[in-house]
Amino acid sequence: MKRMLSFTLSCVISVMTVQAQSKVFKEVSEEISSQMRVITQDDALIGYLAFTQLEKANADSFNYKISIMDENLNDIGSVNFREENLNLQAVSFEQDMLCLAYIKSNVIGNNYASTKAFKKALDKAKHAVVTQFISLQGKILQTNNYNVDITTSETYGYNGATYNAHFAVGKLKRPVVLKNIPQKGFTCFYGDENDNNLLAFNPLGKQVWKKTLPKADGFSLLTSNNNIYILSKKKEKMLEGGFEVTGYNSEDGKQFSNYILKDKKGNSLKVLDFENDPATGKPVVSGNIINSKYGNNFMTPKHITKGTYDGVFTILLNGPKKSDIKETFSYWGDGSQSPNISTRAKFSENESFPRFSETVRDNNGNTYFVGSSLIKKTKWGAIASSVVLAPLIVVSPFILAMGGTQKYKIKDAMLVKQNANGGLTLEKVIPGDDARFYPNRMPLNEMDTKSYYSVFNSNTKTNFLIVDDVKNIVIYNINSKKIERTVSHKDGQVRTNIYPAKEGYIMVSEYNKKEKYTRLSIEAL
Amino acid sequence: MRLTRLRIIYLSCLFFLFGFNHIKAQNSNLYYYQELSHFSLSKLEDSLKKNWTCPNNYKEKETQKKFKELWDSRTEFVTDAIKNKNFIVEKEVYAYLDQIIQQLVKGNSKLLSAKPILLIDRSATVNAYAIGGNIVAVNLGLLSFAESREEVALVIAHELSHNILNHAQNSMEEKAEWLTSAEYKKTVNAVLDSKYERYTRLKKVFEEYSFNRTKHSRYHEGDADSLAVVLLKNSQIAFDAKYFLRLDSVDVPYKKPLKNSLKNYFVGYSLPFEDSWTQKRSKGLSTRNYNFSDNASIADSLKTHPDCTERYLKTMPWSVSNPNKTPIPTLLKEKVNKMIIWNIFDNRNLTACLYRILLEKDKTGNDKWYDFMVYNIFAALFYADNELNRFNAINITSKEYISQEYYELQNMLEQIPRENLYQYCKNLTARQFWQELSSDEKALKIFFHTLIDKDASEKSKELAAKAFVSSHTNSMYCEFADHFVRK
Repeated sequence: MKRMLSFTLSCVISVMTVQAQSKVFKEVSEEISSQMRVITQDDALIGYLAFTQLEKANADSFNYKISIMDENLNDIGSVNFREENLNLQAVSFEQDMLCLAYIKSNVIGNNYASTKAFKKALDKAKHAVVTQFISLQGKILQTNNYNVDITTSETYGYNGATYNAHFAVGKLKRPVVLKNIPQKGFTCFYGDENDNNLLAFNPLGKQVWKKTLPKADGFSLLTSNNNIYILSKKKEKMLEGGFEVTGYNSEDGKQFSNYILKDKKGNSLKVLDFENDPATGKPVVSGNIINSKYGNNFMTPKHITKGTYDGVFTILLNGPKKSDIKETFSYWGDGSQSPNISTRAKFSENESFPRFSETVRDNNGNTYFVGSSLIKKTKWGAIASSVVLAPLIVVSPFILAMGGTQKYKIKDAMLVKQNANGGLTLEKVIPGDDARFYPNRMPLNEMDTKSYYSVFNSNTKTNFLIVDDVKNIVIYNINSKKIERTVSHKDGQVRTNIYPAKEGYIMVSEYNKKEKYTRLSIEAL
Repeated sequence: MRLTRLRIIYLSCLFFLFGFNHIKAQNSNLYYYQELSHFSLSKLEDSLKKNWTCPNNYKEKETQKKFKELWDSRTEFVTDAIKNKNFIVEKEVYAYLDQIIQQLVKGNSKLLSAKPILLIDRSATVNAYAIGGNIVAVNLGLLSFAESREEVALVIAHELSHNILNHAQNSMEEKAEWLTSAEYKKTVNAVLDSKYERYTRLKKVFEEYSFNRTKHSRYHEGDADSLAVVLLKNSQIAFDAKYFLRLDSVDVPYKKPLKNSLKNYFVGYSLPFEDSWTQKRSKGLSTRNYNFSDNASIADSLKTHPDCTERYLKTMPWSVSNPNKTPIPTLLKEKVNKMIIWNIFDNRNLTACLYRILLEKDKTGNDKWYDFMVYNIFAALFYADNELNRFNAINITSKEYISQEYYELQNMLEQIPRENLYQYCKNLTARQFWQELSSDEKALKIFFHTLIDKDASEKSKELAAKAFVSSHTNSMYCEFADHFVRK
C-alpha cells in the first residue's frame, strides 16, 4: 500500500485539479520539476529517490524536496532543503546513510533574455560538485562542495513564454560516479576541464581523502571489499584499447596496484565489463582481444567479418600482486576452438559472427559473452550486375558504392560461454525480431536494435539475461539454458517495458495508451 | 376428497422442498450477482443523474457555477460508485440495517420526515458516511467490527445527523463561496505577483483553508455526535459513550495477530511450506530502520474528527449505565465477513484477503467456503505471476502498518517459487472439500484451470469467462469472470 503524499501537497494538488485553468496554478506547477534516481548499494538496487525542485526561493536558490521510496516503491519519507541550482547525478547507500551527488551551478539550466545577459552571467559563473549525506531519520548531516570548471555554452529553447529563450548548457567533462565502500563509506569520482578527482568519505559524510588522477579519455569506478578500483582508458594506437586498472586503498587513497590491459602478445584489449565476480567478490574485467592489424575497423559489418577481434578475455584481479592475477585469453585463430569457430570468429553452429556488447559472470568461474549475431550473405544480384557491367569480372565501382556484393543482417542474440580454462562454447542462440539485410557500409549501431542486461538472483544463484529488442523482450535463464518468457512490447493498446529492479527482480512498466495510465509491477525472475 | 387434499399438500411440500433445495444447491452464494449496485441500483443511478439538481442558491454567477461544479462532482461520485459495484442490496444485511433506520425514523419523525436512502458500501473500512440528499452509506466493515446493534445504531444516527444538519451541502456552499471570494482571489494573485516561493505561498493558502475547514469539520462532528445521542434516546436505543473509545482501534485491522504460526495453516492443507519463504530476503530499504518525521500521524490540527477520547468525554453525561447490548447475529456477521473477503479478493488484494481468511479460520474452524477461497487466492496469484503482475496482486504494505504474521504472509506470497505456487494450486484442486461446494464454485475452479493454463490464448480465456457467466447468471462469482469479458 502506498503512503499518501503529504497532506498539504495533496490539498494543493486536489484544488489544482479543480482550478486547472487558473493561471497561478499553471505557473506554479511549471516551476516544479522532478528527477528520479535509483538508490544502489553494492551495485544492487535498494530503493528509489525522487528529487523535486519546488520553487525559486530567492535570487540564488531553490526549495527542494527529496522523496525516498523503498525497493517496492512504498514511500519511506521526505526531506526538504534549500540550495542553489542543483542537478542530481547519483545516489548511494551505506550504513543507514544516503549519499547524493549533485552538480551545482548558478548558470547552467538558467535562461536569459539575450546573449549579452548570458555572457554577463557567464563572467560570474560558479560550478561545483556537491555531496550530501542524509540519515534514515531524515536529517541532512553533511554537505561538501567541490568547485569545478565546466565549459558552458548558449542554446535556444522554450521557457514557458517564448521559444527563443537563451539557455545556458554545459556538462561535466567526466560525469560523477558514486559508489558505496562496504563498511567504510563512499567514494566519488568526477572530472572537469582541468582534473580528474577521486574522493573517499566516511559514513557520516566527512571527506577522508581526495586525490587527482592521471589524465585519461575515460574512467570507470568499482569498489571491492575495502578497495577502490579505477578503470581508465588512455589514448593509444588501438582506438578501442588503452585500458588499465588501478587499485586504491579506501582508507588512505594509496595506490596499491596498476595493471595495463594487454594480452601476452601485446594486443590491446577492449573492455566490455568491469565488475565484481559474484563468486569471489573481487574485480573482474572481460571483453574482446583487439586484432593488431584490423582492430581499428569496427564500425560496419564488413569490418567485423574481416576480423576486428582475435578473441575474448577474462582477467580476475584477485590481489595486488602479479601472481594474484588470473588471465584467460581465448583466441579464434589458435586452432583450439576450431572447427566451431573460424579464425575470423565465424561460428559454424549458427553461421554468424558475434558482436559482443555485454558479459555475465556466473558462480562457477565462467564468463558468458553476450551480443548480437551478424549474418553475412552474398548478394548474387550485385555480382551478376557487376559481371554484366564489367566483363573482366571486376566489381563495378558503382556496385561497390551501393554496398558491395555482400549483405548483412543482425537478428538473433548469441550467448558464448568461456570456461575457466578458456574453452568456448556457443551456449544459446536466442531468436530475435525479424530483421532485414543491409549493405556492408551500414553502421552497426544502426543495424543492431538489441540491448542487453543481466539480473542475478542471489538466493537461487541464478543468472538471467534480458534481451530487449524492438518488438519483444526475451528473458533467458542462463543456468537452466531456457527462455523463461517472451514479453511483447506492444499488446493492443498496452506498451510494456522492462527495467532493472531490486536484486533478482525486474520492473515491468505497462502504459495503456487508451486509458492513459501506467501500471508498475516488480516481478521476480 | 381428503386423500386428494393431502396429496395436494404433500405434493406442494415436495415441490417446495425440491424447489428450495434446487435453488439452494444452485446458489449457496452469499448473494446474487444482480444484487450488486450496477444492477440493483441502476434506477437510483438514473434518478440521481436526472433529479438531483443543484439549487440556485447564489445570485453571483461565478459562485453558483462553482457550487454546481461541486454539487455535480458529488453526484458523479455516487453514480460512479453505483456503476462500479461499490454498493450492494443484499436482503439480509439490508433488512438488518433498514430496521435500525426505521426505528430511528419512527422515534424522530420531526427531524427525519422522510426515510433516508440506505446504501450498503462493500468496503472493509469501518465507516459510514452521509452524502447529503437524505442518503446514508454504511460500510460492511462497520458491521464486521461492531459488537452490538446499539453500536451500529450510534454510527447510523451520527451520519443521519449530518444529513439533518445539512452539513454536506453547507460544506459545498462554504467551499464555493471561499473559492470565488475576493479574499481568496486576492491571496492567490498575491502568489502570482511574488517572484519567489510561489509554491510555499500557495501551499500556505490551502493549509490555512484546510486548517479552518478541518476545525469546522470537527465542530460538525461534535454537533453530529450530540444530535445522534438525541436521535438514539428518542428511539429508545441505548447509548454508551464507550463506543467512541472502541473506534480508536479501527485503523489497524491487519495488526491483529493470528492464533497459530503461519506454517500450521498450510500444513493443514498438506501443502509444502518453507520457513525461508516468510523471511524477507531483500537487501532493500524496506528492511532498514527508518524514521522520517513526516511519517508521523497527521497533525492534530488537520484531523477532521475530534479525538475519540474527547468524543467519549463530551457525550459521557448522556451515557446509559450498563446498557443492554443486542449482539449482531452471528450468522449475519459471518456473512458480512465473507462478503468483505470476496470483495477484497475481487479487488486483487490477495494478502489482505488471505490474512482475513486465516483470522476467520481462527474463529470458525472448518468452513469449506474458506478452503474454496484459499484455492482461489493461490490460483489468482499464479495467474498474476504468469501475467507479470504478482507484485500488484500482493499489494505490499510497509511493515509498520501490519502484524508480524501479516508481514510473513506477505513475504511468503512474494517469494514462494513459481513451481511451488503451481503445486499449491494442484494440491488444493484435489482436496475433499470440493465435494461439498456448489456447482458454480466448482465451475469457477474449471474457469481458473483455463486462466492458469500457459498455453491458453486470451480468446479462450474470454470464452471460458463467457461460458461461466452464461451458465451461472445469478452467481456472485460472475463478478470475477466479468473481468475477462471484453466490453
